[in-house]
Amino acid sequence: MSEPSRQLAVTEEQAYELLAFLVCSADVCAFEPHYYGTFRLLDAASRLMGCMLDNGANDSRAWLETFKQEVDGKKLWMLSDRDAYFAFLGDVGGEIGAILRRRALSRA
Amino acid sequence: MSDSAAAVLHTIRSRRVVRSYAPEPVPEDALAEILEAARWALNGGNRRILAFRTVTDGQQIRLLKSVSPGMLGMPPAVILICIDLDKAAKQGVQLDKHHTTWIDVGTALMNMSLAAHVLGLGSCPVTSFSRAGLRAVLELPDQLQPELILQVGHPARTSS
Repeated sequence: MSEPSRQLAVTEEQAYELLAFLVCSADVCAFEPHYYGTFRLLDAASRLMGCMLDNGANDSRAWLETFKQEVDGKKLWMLSDRDAYFAFLGDVGGEIGAILRRRALSRA
Repeated sequence: MSDSAAAVLHTIRSRRVVRSYAPEPVPEDALAEILEAARWALNGGNRRILAFRTVTDGQQIRLLKSVSPGMLGMPPAVILICIDLDKAAKQGVQLDKHHTTWIDVGTALMNMSLAAHVLGLGSCPVTSFSRAGLRAVLELPDQLQPELILQVGHPARTSS
């Protein structure tokens, strides 16, 4: 079995920015409409993917670029087409699940 | 309808929220015009208890964005609308009971957004931010209570 990559995915500075975003999102979720919480989580995921790509994530890079592009496009459906947005949320776990499985199998 | 009336109505109808910005800076005279537009906004009781802060430093905007989940883009300029609590107290404004102050925030926002639009700039209001976080990163004095962030910049070509 090959070792999982130990390459740094997030720099310390990026980690602090993500930390601030997550903590401040918890604050604003207290007064925003409830579905905005899902949007904040997706946005955080997008920011994390941006950091991973910035720092030269090589494993599954093509998948990550495509997935980030998809999340960035579809997260805005929260503002314009909420039914499609919620349908996307229902499906997106499957996408991340599939890549997790592929990565696990490639290490086996 | 007069030409000037048609022009104003066209400006109102053609303004859009812009969430993606080109990196080029916003000229200082444009920011001054936008702030001047806020000064002319409808104002409850002519109390004028709002205060405005302009931020154009990239590092400060980056910090501000970190504590403002509602900021999706990276604008080259930001105008912060605050309530000056000292002025509010001197005018006897009870912020918890008297909602006119928030209407004032809205009228200032609208004038600034329209001014930005006719100057060829895009803008987007943000209310989803941590007040405490914003106070800390901008070192705001205690009497300034941040209420709204207006992002300003040249629209990116792929603007959403």
